Amino acid sequence: MNLELLKGSRSRILAAVVLGIMAVFVIRLFYLQVIQHDHYVGLAKEEQENRFVIPASRGLIYAKSGDDPVQLVLNETVYMVFADPVTVDDKAKVVDTLRKVAGGNVRTDFDKLLDNKKSRYQILATKVTRVQADKIKAEGLHGIGFQEVSQRVYPEGSLAGQILGFVNTTGEGSYGLEGYMDKDLKGKDGLLQAVTDVSNVPLTIGNNNIRTPAQDGANIVLSIDRNVQSKVEAALAAGMERTGAPQGSAMAMDPRTGKILAMANLPTYSPGEYNKVEDVAHFNNNVISDPYEPGSSLKTYTLATGIDKNVVKTSDTFNNTDSIKIGDNYIVGNATKGQTGIITFQRALTWSLNTGFVTIAQRLGDGNSVTRSARDAMYEYFHDRLRLGQLTGVELANEAAGTIYSPEDEQGNAVRYATMSFGQGLNTSMLQVAAGFSALINGGTYYKPTVIDGYMTTEGYKQNPVNAPVATNVVSKSTSDQILTATHDARASSFGHLDKPGYYIGGKTGTSQVGVAGGYSDTETIGSYLGYGGGNEAEYVIMVRLSGKDKQFQGARDALPIFTDISNWMLDYLKVHPKG
Amino acid sequence: MSNSQNTYYASRRQQNWSRNQNTTRFVSAVKLGPVAHTVLVALMITVLGLIYLTQATRATSYDYESQKIDSQIAELTDQKNDLNIENARLTALETVKKSSVAANLTTPVSTEYVQQ
Repeated sequence: MNLELLKGSRSRILAAVVLGIMAVFVIRLFYLQVIQHDHYVGLAKEEQENRFVIPASRGLIYAKSGDDPVQLVLNETVYMVFADPVTVDDKAKVVDTLRKVAGGNVRTDFDKLLDNKKSRYQILATKVTRVQADKIKAEGLHGIGFQEVSQRVYPEGSLAGQILGFVNTTGEGSYGLEGYMDKDLKGKDGLLQAVTDVSNVPLTIGNNNIRTPAQDGANIVLSIDRNVQSKVEAALAAGMERTGAPQGSAMAMDPRTGKILAMANLPTYSPGEYNKVEDVAHFNNNVISDPYEPGSSLKTYTLATGIDKNVVKTSDTFNNTDSIKIGDNYIVGNATKGQTGIITFQRALTWSLNTGFVTIAQRLGDGNSVTRSARDAMYEYFHDRLRLGQLTGVELANEAAGTIYSPEDEQGNAVRYATMSFGQGLNTSMLQVAAGFSALINGGTYYKPTVIDGYMTTEGYKQNPVNAPVATNVVSKSTSDQILTATHDARASSFGHLDKPGYYIGGKTGTSQVGVAGGYSDTETIGSYLGYGGGNEAEYVIMVRLSGKDKQFQGARDALPIFTDISNWMLDYLKVHPKG
Repeated sequence: MSNSQNTYYASRRQQNWSRNQNTTRFVSAVKLGPVAHTVLVALMITVLGLIYLTQATRATSYDYESQKIDSQIAELTDQKNDLNIENARLTALETVKKSSVAANLTTPVSTEYVQQ
């Protein structure tokens, strides 16, 4: 059959119309599928694909217990219970269940929140544990929802609170290790991009799926020994109660490695309840962030400088008149009077006589005054070699550098350096003083103080390599030996009977004046003690400080007993062999 | 008898036949028309489609299985963490200090060390 469309026939017109419509379709489809291709592919992806953040777990923090790591900070998943008051159909059951299961975690008057029908979201309870949440879920309550929240857990309570710091409500680490190592502890969130079903279950179909696994935060093992930390905190608390000191700090470190074993400040706080702290000063770790004039404990530094520069020996003598004139009108006196006449520098150290150490400062110069060359020598030893007035780099937030004036500074004059010879006129942190003192008694090697001993990995505990010295020969071995002996003799002369027999213990008291506008306070002094202990070598350095507004504390009377308490305990705990 | 050259192309098989070897030729008794062909093709396409759908659905069912296992892993990890926390609390210094074992400990009278 041969169909022919006649010109002008209805069939031909119909064909033309159909062709026209087809052409419109084709053009429209071309526009949608070719020109608008990317736009619609994007819309489809938006509809079908979802992006999920795979949260990284915050790293755990361990302390040492002897040689073994123990968990100090962990993560716990807790739940926030919320309600949609509009859809809650059995208020009495909700209230009853929450009271019974999560009584301590519910909000005040949470039952009244359920009456607020204008709101679709009311938080009823926070920090509900998984077990509690499971019990509530089992009740099948309508209109109740749960939101997972990860929180830090501190099984040891307030122990080492200022070393640890805390994680605030926005998930940021604040203070202490949490603040300093926040980036390492946080890790890196992962990403999952996939086509999902209506229940948001990711499916493997699709060409644009992305799965980047989360990198969990580093699990840090501290060099802090929880037993030493506990002892130091307890001894400090007992000492503060005995002396009535409102503020106290103490620390212990290994002078052979720079590893910090304990660091305590009182009053303190519990990181798990940081939001209940009323005075933010309690967050501060005063061992590192509160520089002060350390006083007579720095006489060990002056003596070391003099010995190392070959201008004095401990057996050398000077004429003590209980006061010494600096320049034209500045007179330095001794706190302890009566040790007058020709006496040795050892005796000056034992009785903590300021005049002896100003004399050493003078002998570093021309013998009569604290000249520029004397000041240069002191600055070199105090600042450059023993690193006073510099950040130590310890892995804790808010470390303060302190101040030590260079001889080139207008403030770095003879009077300043004369007072520096007995530990006034400069600001240093306890950690700086203890770290420098460690170098003075360990043979002359300065180690960077550290609180990190290693990392816990999936393969187990990986201890950091031995802490490389920052500087060696900051003083000679001979100088170091003489300082070791001098401080031992200084302690042994009056306080040796307090120590366990057979061990080699040494130290130096410090009673420092507190600077106020225009001079020093007459009503306030800081008491401190800096010492070491061990057998054939010093195995620990301990520093203690007591202070308080308008309170007068003395190194020997108030701080020394705390040192003794910790030191005698440490000898047993560290299983130190007696000197043999 | 005279031989003549065949000018038409003959296949090798045909040439063999021409040599009177024992050969058979199958001729189907069933004749398929155009409709039957169309139906068969449609059936084949349907079967292939079903196979494709089965495979695609199976892959998705693995996803659900995987999701279920992931949930189980998360649940077990949570339980492990809870136990870990409980362990840390039970071995915390304060707990140990309050234990009956610690209460019965005594301080050694003297300590001696053996030099090695």
